[in-house]
This record gives sequence, structure tokens and C-alpha cells, in this order.
Amino acid sequence: MSLPRATSAAVVAFVALWTAIGHGQLSPAPVNGVMIQDAGLPAIDRGLRDQDPPRAARTAQDADRIRVSNGDTLPYVRGSIIVKFRDDATRTGISSATAQVAGTLADRTSWADFDIMAIPSDADPEGAAAAMRQRADVDYAQPRYRNHAMARPNDTLYANQWNFPAIDMERVWDIQPGASSNIIVAVLDSGMAFRTGTMRYNSSFAFRLTPFGPQYPALGQVDVPFAAAPELGPSGSTRFVSPHDFIWGNELPLDLDGHGTHVAGTIGQLTNNNSGTAGMAYNVRLMPVKVIDGVWDYIFDSPFVGTDDVVARGVRYAADNGAKVINLSIGREDGGPATVVTDAMRYAVSRGCFIAVASGNSRADGNQPNRLAQGAPQIDGMVAVGAVGRTLDLAYYSTTASYVEISAPGGDQRQGGISAGILQQTLDLDQLEIYTRPPRADSFAYEYFQGTSMATPHVSGFAALLMQQGITNPAAIEAAMKQFAIDKGVPGRDDSYGFGLINPRATLRGLGLAR
Amino acid sequence: MSAATIQRHLAPAFVAIALLASAGAAPASAQSKPQPRAASTSARPSRSVSIAGYATFGNIFFTATESFDAILGTTSGPIFGGGARVGLPWGGLFVDVGAWRFHDEGERALVFEGEVIPLGIPVDITVTPIEFSGGWRFRIKSMPKLSPYVAGGLTAMKYHESSDFSAADEDVDDTFSGFHLLGGAEYKITRWLGVAGEASWTTVPDAIGEAGVSEAFDETNLGGTTFRFKITIGR
Repeated sequence: MSLPRATSAAVVAFVALWTAIGHGQLSPAPVNGVMIQDAGLPAIDRGLRDQDPPRAARTAQDADRIRVSNGDTLPYVRGSIIVKFRDDATRTGISSATAQVAGTLADRTSWADFDIMAIPSDADPEGAAAAMRQRADVDYAQPRYRNHAMARPNDTLYANQWNFPAIDMERVWDIQPGASSNIIVAVLDSGMAFRTGTMRYNSSFAFRLTPFGPQYPALGQVDVPFAAAPELGPSGSTRFVSPHDFIWGNELPLDLDGHGTHVAGTIGQLTNNNSGTAGMAYNVRLMPVKVIDGVWDYIFDSPFVGTDDVVARGVRYAADNGAKVINLSIGREDGGPATVVTDAMRYAVSRGCFIAVASGNSRADGNQPNRLAQGAPQIDGMVAVGAVGRTLDLAYYSTTASYVEISAPGGDQRQGGISAGILQQTLDLDQLEIYTRPPRADSFAYEYFQGTSMATPHVSGFAALLMQQGITNPAAIEAAMKQFAIDKGVPGRDDSYGFGLINPRATLRGLGLAR
Repeated sequence: MSAATIQRHLAPAFVAIALLASAGAAPASAQSKPQPRAASTSARPSRSVSIAGYATFGNIFFTATESFDAILGTTSGPIFGGGARVGLPWGGLFVDVGAWRFHDEGERALVFEGEVIPLGIPVDITVTPIEFSGGWRFRIKSMPKLSPYVAGGLTAMKYHESSDFSAADEDVDDTFSGFHLLGGAEYKITRWLGVAGEASWTTVPDAIGEAGVSEAFDETNLGGTTFRFKITIGR
């Protein structure tokens, strides 16, 4: 080979290599769920939204989002199950168990005392879990059931918040003005509007929101602006503590749904600030913990979804990071018991956390129990919360069950229209629920929602007030709530109202010697 | 408390007073008879009415110990008051009307599995009994300045409980009836001035226990035992 020819070959090889590398640089792996700008324009406040038409009720079907590619509408995630081996389980025994279902054990994730066992994607997770439960070295096993928000968002400031006068909160705040920053309330939900910035996501697949609904195209790479809800507190402030996102696996539990932000508002909306709406325990610090995925998390293909194991990890995370009250306005009606979550709840209560969980919204749709709430009667320090409407009668959707322990205002828009819901500031749903363009999470409005999701934060806020008043034992908080509850329905405890409607003033006043 | 109940409660009290009187003193009629040796005590036949007023102070130990401890952090406290005693012209018989007052401040509380959780809400408790007593005074010949006495009678116990943040109908202002037994001794420093030490047991059943921490502790009696000193002026 002559020198010029060799030189030409070398140049061609170099150019080819450079081009290959350059091509790689020009087409990086898609960025998804990454904050690309830690600043943004001020939040947009679109005010009270009380004239919008009613929206479809949010129930378990909301979880039935369908990838056009596979058509799955199962209540659990395929390809893995949750297994808790007994402490005395041997390595041989564990190997035998995994072999039994042709599975493999993944490395144990943080805030979990259980394992995720991968199984073949075509295997039946319920069958595999049942097989595991038969083993003597297994404590419990269950499919990775998906959870969803327990609200029924609907569309209509303090005068509009009938729910607080209904439980005498004005006189309650005389006694205990909104607790303090010593109390941390963890909101395990769809995230929280607590931070300003811009996130870059990747919408890579076409989807439907209902089995026979319209098909929406993939949007490609999109930048989504976020802002802290003005009525929750400024972005980056000490109002928000230890945020964690178990859906995206980062420290940015941003709300792409509106549910978590609304729930957080009932607990801790800034109050006496001449603006917007009030909250129950308006001085507490809020811990945003994202454990359920919203529609946009689904569209952006979040690495995790709101399965029981994710919720359980969230509960343990909250307990280990200083939360005193945990609010779970979430749940599921499908599938079997949520043993992994109940176990985590026991752990949290043992760490001094009080837990309020929504009893469910299924009374008008078959009255199936919320599996996350079923353990409440066995855990002193955790209550399952039913909902009443403006007339303080049971809301049409509030699940009736033996595990219901207490009731609080959740709204009933069938008996009072839009404004009979619970009003708080949340993400502007008009900017979220058009799926042909990227969402905006920096625009806010005051929205009426209804559901046991909305009743539950009343109880969490109430618990925070009791903790500030000196009752730190979760079991004592539960006992006090029940003792002073206003009996509703059948005398004594019943499946509709539990022990009755919460009575924060009487509970906070406690007992004198003779009265 | 019904009249029958009061009568039933008072009966043993008067029996006790009678026993104390008979143990501590010979009947007035026997004292007129010559005795081989001087009796150690005797009731001095009285033919006139004597009147004395007194101021009293001391300490009460409440029967409802858990309830008072839960709210006030103590089961006892100081009392002060006063009254008047009228000696009747029949031996050592006397009647007495006295009143005293207990007042303390505590905080409202919750009771969970026997544990008291204070809530930091101030509560004022005032107990003001008015005691109507009848009794007998004894005279010790060897110590003429010392007069032991026993008595018993009815108690009208006024109870007041008020808290911060209370509505008008949430405070307690009520009067309950009960009875008391007491015994003590008076020492005459001068003809007109005396000091006395006295112990009294008061029962006011069914006054509390229907609500509040007293219900949680199943304590219903608002009475207690008092130990008190008196300064008397008069004869």
C-alpha cells in the first residue's frame, strides 16, 4: 500500500469513527423526568373554578390506562410480586422459593423489609403469590397491586369552605392555632406542588385513557413548567421537608395530577394570609412523598407505578424521616389484602406516626373495600376515614365497611352541587387534562373535589393539632378521636360513620374534673 | 341526694358520735353522783348559751384522688374559712355552721389507658362546703382549758369548675349534698380566745363521675378528709 492510499484509508477510518461518536452525541438517550431548570416564572393563579361542568368521578377505572401496544388493564403489575420471607428463612429455602415460580430476587430496595421477586411476564402474579404464601418460610406474598387517588374531582375561599365551620374549626383554632412547624405531616399521594422549575419528560408511546376512549399520540420530548402552589408555601422554603418521589426515584415528588396538592391544602393551606383558602393545621411542615402515579406520570412512562410495595416504602420512608402524621388519601378496591402496606403501617405507628387512610369511594359502585384501609381496626394509631357531605350525612360514595372508624367532611356534590365539595387550591385542571399537548404545572386554581380523599386530610390535620396539644401517642390520638366523635347513624359504632363525625374542639379541650 | 338517702347516711354518723361521746365522757347525770375517784373527763353541765366565732385553715385530702391528681397534679390542698358555734344549755351540746374554701388551678387532660395526658388548657376548680353540724363538747377536769369535741352533720358542697375556651354551658357550677363527721379539741388560751385542731371526714357521693376525668377513673365522691386549725373567739 502506497503512502497516499494508506493516508486516505486512515482519514476515512478516522472520519467514520468521528462520525459514529458524533452521531452518538447528537442522539443521546431520551431524557425523562429530569429537572432542566431550577427556576421559573411565578405561579399562575386562575382563581375559583366553580362553574366548570362536573367531571367523571375518579375511581379504580382511572388506573385503567392502556398502552396501545399491550392493552393491559390489570389491577397489578405483571412480571413481579412482593414477598416477605421469614427472618429464619435459609438461603436454600429462598432459592427453592424463587425456583418454584421461575423467579429471581432483585436487590432489596430502600425503605423496604420485603423483596420484589421477578417472575416471568406471562405468569399470573396472583397465582405466584398464592404459591409463595403456602411456604412455611414466607411471611406474606402478594401481587404488586396498583393504587390510585381516592378523590372524585369536580368543579365550583374561606366563605366557600363550609367544611371547616361544620366541624367548629373556628373555635378549634382559638384553642390550637394551626399546630406548629414541629409537626411534620407526610402526604403520600400523587406528589405536591412544592417546587418551581422545569422538568423535561419523554412521551414515547401512544395511549388511551379508557379501553374504548380516543387514542392520544406520543408527544415526544416535552418541557413541563412547575411552580410551588402559592397557598402551600414558597418554593425551596422550610415548609416542605424531606421530599421523595417513589414513582420517579428521585427527590422531586412533583404533582402532575392535582390530587396530592389539593389534599395537602386541606391539611396545611396557608391561613390568615388574606388569600385563598384555609387549612386544618396551617403551621405544620409538609413532607411530599409521591407514591401514586397520575395520568401524566403514565404518559411519561415513569419507572415505577403506585403499587403496594411503592406505597409501603413511602410509609416507611415517612416514618424514618420524621413524619408524625401520615396521610393516605389513596387506595385500591381490586385484588387481595395489602399485607405489605399494613405491615409498613404497623412499623410507622410503632415509630410514633399517626396514620389516616381513606375508607374508599365505592359505595355507589359495588361498595368494595379499600384494601389499604382494611387493617385500621387492628392498628391502634391508624384510622380509616369515611366522608360526609354538607348536611353531615354520609356521602353517596363513602364506602361502608367494618373497618370504617371515623368520619369527616369529604363533600357530596349530589346533595348540594359543585360547591358541596371541598375547596382547596390545586393545579389548574384545565392545564392538565388536555392530553394532546404538554401539561402546565405552574398554573393554579381553587377547585372543589369530593371523596374520602378529601375527608382524610381533615383527620390528619386534626391529628397534627392533637399532637401539638401534647398527645403524642398515635393510639391515644385514635382513642381520643373516637371518644369525642359525634355519633351519627345507628347509635354506637357503625359501618357508615364508624364512631361518628370528628369533633376537634371537644377533643382538643379534653376533660375537666367533672365535665 | 334524697332525704331518705341522707337519713341513711347520717344514721351511722350519729351512732358514731354517740359512741365517741359515751367513750369519752360519763353521762351528765352520773357526774352529779359522788365518785370514788375523779373521772378523767366529764361534760360540764351548762345552763347557758355560749357563742363563739372562728377562723379556720388547714388542708383537704380529696377522696377522688386520681381525678384531682389528673387535673390539678395533687390530691390535696390548702383550705381556709370560718364559722360560728353556739353552745346550747344542755350539757356539751352545740351546733356549728362553718364554711371553707379550696381553690386550685390545673389543666384539662385526656385519659388513655390510665395515663393522664395534660392538654395545657387552664382549668380553675373551687370547692366551697357549708357544714351544718351538731356535736358534743367534753371537759377534762384535770385539763380544764382543753375541750375535746365530736360532731357530725350535713354538708352542702358547692363545686365550681371553669376552663379557658369554655362556652357558657360548659363550665360547672353546682351544689351537692353530703354529710360529715369531725372530731377535735379546743384549747382556751384566755377566757375568750382559743385554738383548736380538728379532723373531718366528708362524703359527697354521686357529685362527680358522670363526665370529665372522674368518669374515666370511676370516682364519684367529691368529699375528703380535712385537717384544720381553728382560732376561736368567744365562749
